[in-house]
Amino acid sequence: MNFYDFHIHPKFSEGKCSVEEIARRAKLLGFKGICITNYFTDKSKIKTLKKEISEVSEKLEFKIFIGFSAKTVDQLKKLVRMRKGYDVLLVKGSDLYLNRKAVETKEVDILTHPELNRRDSGLNHIMAKLATKNNVAIEINFREILQSSKNTRSAIIHNIAENVRLCKKYKTPIAICSGAASHWQLKDPKVLISMGCLLGLELNEAKKALSELPENIIKMIRERQNEKWVRPGVKVV
Amino acid sequence: MKRLKILKPTLREKNRYISFQVISEKGEEFTYSDLESAIWNVTLDFLGEYGVSKTSIWLLKDCWNQKKQIGILRCNHKSVQVVIAALGLIDRLGDNRITFKILKISGTIKSIRKIMG
Repeated sequence: MNFYDFHIHPKFSEGKCSVEEIARRAKLLGFKGICITNYFTDKSKIKTLKKEISEVSEKLEFKIFIGFSAKTVDQLKKLVRMRKGYDVLLVKGSDLYLNRKAVETKEVDILTHPELNRRDSGLNHIMAKLATKNNVAIEINFREILQSSKNTRSAIIHNIAENVRLCKKYKTPIAICSGAASHWQLKDPKVLISMGCLLGLELNEAKKALSELPENIIKMIRERQNEKWVRPGVKVV
Repeated sequence: MKRLKILKPTLREKNRYISFQVISEKGEEFTYSDLESAIWNVTLDFLGEYGVSKTSIWLLKDCWNQKKQIGILRCNHKSVQVVIAALGLIDRLGDNRITFKILKISGTIKSIRKIMG
């Protein structure tokens, strides 16, 4: 089974390590590919990013995708407009309005940690239904659990488990990602699968969250790179 | 002292052996006791005393390879996922940053020893 981690921050995002260090570690741990996630600043950076990432990808013979994470609704709108320019579109959850916008947008691939810094889980049954309809995956973020402790950790685990329960009921895709900001926070795929199981997923569901869902996203990336692609559901025939 | 009669195989607890490798920052060689205390601390923190009692977790001393930093952890068959998730939460050993790479999960110690060489 091929495993992918689609939410990793390098040093030019909020992380601390270079793309090469991250890719080396991910390869050692048994991943088939990763997605380097950046926060959107301006268009001009995409070319330099692409160049750097493709150099590392060729050097290590390892699949690396470029992802952008939107922090605000404005950023999300801008990123949707230039959707063909990069591979994966993530939305940094936490704000309820942004969470809602993310699950309503077909172009979004993953809504990351909707429960971040919240007392509730950041997701309800309506949003779960919308996410299923628009094929937006809800993320289980390992870094959130890793970096918290005691009562905060138990609250986070409870909120994520609640989201998983909703996602299972409404057949919303689930993605398990490390959310690593350094290569030390990257975890073995088996660890991520086990954490998924603890949060209420069956073993095969957890495996799918780490392999089948990213593979579907990769399929979409290939489709999007095709010249005939206009936007989700629209193609030049 | 008289020993207890060995239970029938069907009545015994079913064990699973998890072999793992510790990846460290500068290739430090950790001892068995370093690792044992880290595993106990994190599992007790994450699962609590009652939770740990249900896992039957044990780090095998004679299987710890200090050079290769490979070891075997024993637990019962129902708590494999819990133990692996808890292992993932260990990110420091003293002042050093570490990661665990899970090599193999097996039902017998014989088959898992093969990969340790």
